Amino acid sequence: MNFSGEDLEKLRPKVRLKVCYDVGFFCPDVDDIVQEALMRFMVAARDEKIHNQAAMGAFLNGICRNVVSEYRRRNMRDEPMPEVVPEPPGKSIPEAELFELRDAIAQGMEQLSERDRRVLRAFYLEEKSKDEILKQTGMTDENFRVVLCRAKERFRAIYLERTQHPGNSRHSGI
Amino acid sequence: MSTNFHEDPVYREEFIIGYLRRRLSADLAEQWESHYLACDDCFEEIRATELLIRGLGEPMVERRRVNDVTVLRFAQSTQLLASSLELNELSNVIRVQNDTKVLIDLSRVSRIDSTGLGVLMNCYCHAVKNAGALKLLNADAPVRRVLSVTKIDSVLQMFEDEATAIASFGLPQA
Repeated sequence: MNFSGEDLEKLRPKVRLKVCYDVGFFCPDVDDIVQEALMRFMVAARDEKIHNQAAMGAFLNGICRNVVSEYRRRNMRDEPMPEVVPEPPGKSIPEAELFELRDAIAQGMEQLSERDRRVLRAFYLEEKSKDEILKQTGMTDENFRVVLCRAKERFRAIYLERTQHPGNSRHSGI
Repeated sequence: MSTNFHEDPVYREEFIIGYLRRRLSADLAEQWESHYLACDDCFEEIRATELLIRGLGEPMVERRRVNDVTVLRFAQSTQLLASSLELNELSNVIRVQNDTKVLIDLSRVSRIDSTGLGVLMNCYCHAVKNAGALKLLNADAPVRRVLSVTKIDSVLQMFEDEATAIASFGLPQA
């Protein structure tokens, strides 16, 4: 199985998210862990150790887990036990990138109708279930799906626009 | 256990929210990670969800202090109608923060209805009861017309210029 440099760059943000989820978004060694995981994955691919392409994600996930475990073991050996800090919710996009995207996000929000925003806030921020929202708003299941998909499509376009024009971003984390 | 994340977008979305909020069990998180590491579509959905959550979580009313006057401005173009989320936030911002000298910048408000006027008057009463005042800034022509027809402009002072409006509140209290 061969991976090009482009494939590798596509994998990097995904691996970064997985690693951040495990070690915390503010860990200073995230990039090193990501690099190590990707390197091991490339070596495994080169040596044809990935037999089942359908399980490629699980294979890469396993590598990430191993690298993170090793990192944790090394840290525990070298340093005093760290103070346990409550982990903030997982994030896939660094704060600096979100800050740079604020205008695009605001524009995306402006395109949503009042009703859509109300429904989306209930779903994403208040974490109400679909059934609760349908009951409260009197929407049909189909309407709810349309609202959700329409909003996701817009915000996905914002994300893709950003990644397809990386010159707009000074960082490579996104 | 195998889950088809592409079958139902609502189910996938609930999964993404659970993942970002760290509410998934270790097994489910691993299953999801193994999937998105190999699936561009689902990874892009995670990013889009995060942008959307960010947008939904942004304050709808921006608040800043100039001397002892609180200046409020809507973060996006809006309409102050019965169904507006901004109305609720406007009222909360003034009451919770207990602001008494308040200047509301209406430059991003394109329309206002009786509920919007009611909220403005409630906020005004709250400010006056606490020995303060509430004034308006930069109202657009349609909003100005409604304020004039309802004679609310005889109660709420309106200004075109922020410095003049702030000066009209008098000297800051020591």
